[in-house]
Amino acid sequence: MSLLKPFSKLPDLNTANILLVENEEQFQQNLANTLVEETAVTVTVRLAKSLPLPMENDESRPRIDLVVFIINLTSDKSFESAKASLKYLVPGYFLGKVCFMATNARHASVRTGCLDALRQLAVSLHCPLLFAEDQTPEGAASSARRLLTILKVASGLVPNTTALYLSNLTRCTMPPDIDQPSFD
Amino acid sequence: QGEVRADRRAAGQLSEAAESELVQQCEEQFAQLEKLQNEIILCEPDICENHQEQVDLYVVAFRLAATDAELKLWMSMQPSSLAANAEILLHAGKDEMLKLCSELEMVVSCCEAKRDKLRETKELEQKWLEEKKQVLLAANDHIERLRVEKEKYSEHNILLETKAKIQKMKAYQEQLMESLGDILEKHVPLPQDESTASKKKKNIPLKISEDLVSLSKILEVLMDKVMNTPHDPYVTIDHTFWPPYVEMLLRYGIAVRHQENNFKIRLETFF
Repeated sequence: MSLLKPFSKLPDLNTANILLVENEEQFQQNLANTLVEETAVTVTVRLAKSLPLPMENDESRPRIDLVVFIINLTSDKSFESAKASLKYLVPGYFLGKVCFMATNARHASVRTGCLDALRQLAVSLHCPLLFAEDQTPEGAASSARRLLTILKVASGLVPNTTALYLSNLTRCTMPPDIDQPSFD
Repeated sequence: QGEVRADRRAAGQLSEAAESELVQQCEEQFAQLEKLQNEIILCEPDICENHQEQVDLYVVAFRLAATDAELKLWMSMQPSSLAANAEILLHAGKDEMLKLCSELEMVVSCCEAKRDKLRETKELEQKWLEEKKQVLLAANDHIERLRVEKEKYSEHNILLETKAKIQKMKAYQEQLMESLGDILEKHVPLPQDESTASKKKKNIPLKISEDLVSLSKILEVLMDKVMNTPHDPYVTIDHTFWPPYVEMLLRYGIAVRHQENNFKIRLETFF
């Protein structure tokens, strides 16, 4: 089993490495293109369909600072594949180095339980849950901006702030009314 | 690690001595980093043996432990200056100040925008409140008016007022009838039998019936008939009515004859 470990390799100077995991492999392209445009920091974006990552690249791969799971809410397979990939992460990653990103949240064909299940997952793992709009370049740009903020902290580029510290502020919480019984 | 980055950035425009000192600091930090990294790699095999199935339970415990450790570290850390060299500090300080200034400007503009939005909201709310106050005032006025009207027009009141009106009218009617009676008595008395003395002069024997009624009585009879049986206000002239009186009534338009029967008269409205 090749688990992804957060501190198994030495970091590079002034670089941040982000791993985008998406089952459909669509949004990650646009997002990657926008992310590498950042100039203050050298951002390396690695794309994957799911974990575990192939063993062949293990040596050449730098240490991953932030793992982002991009989940398309209109397809169940997306969610299942992300959940399965979670097993290949060491628990050390969940101290602020994992982020969930949901797309198509406003789509008509979203199954009702899907968003709730995703929220439950994010809450149990104490990870932030972001919503992205993947159809326009502005949507990609704004999600890239938000990811960069989290990435900079996760790779230690922001003094006096650790990923754990930030994740305590950004983690997803269950809104109180969801716990009450629905009236369906 | 944060220190390493900051140092690296500041190394842009420095003198030889400062730069070398900075580089040395970086090397020291990096050496420490490598040492820690090796320690971590040695520790790691212990962690991955644990079950990956129940990640969320582990995560919570992990977070608690990690937060505790971080807290301890922060408590024990002493604030120390970045480097001994003043030049390095100056450069690093300048960069930080500029960054801070731009961030604070952002905060200022954000707060101003919020404040303006709140002002707008406040004005809208005040307008709304004013409108509602007006409505309340109008409603209260309406209630007052209705209450006053109700008091004025309550059934009991109406009853009392109507009774009072009826009383007044009755009294007036009494008065009128009295004065009518007085006038008639004074000016239009019952025809008397002539004294025997004038009988000799007059050749026409005035055949006066014994039971002639006075004009007031005639009028009374007419009025009663009209009031009591409005569908049949006609009174038949009989011998009790003195003909000259009847003629007088007819001429003045106080009474009119029935169209078909000359012996019937009724009271007429006259002026």
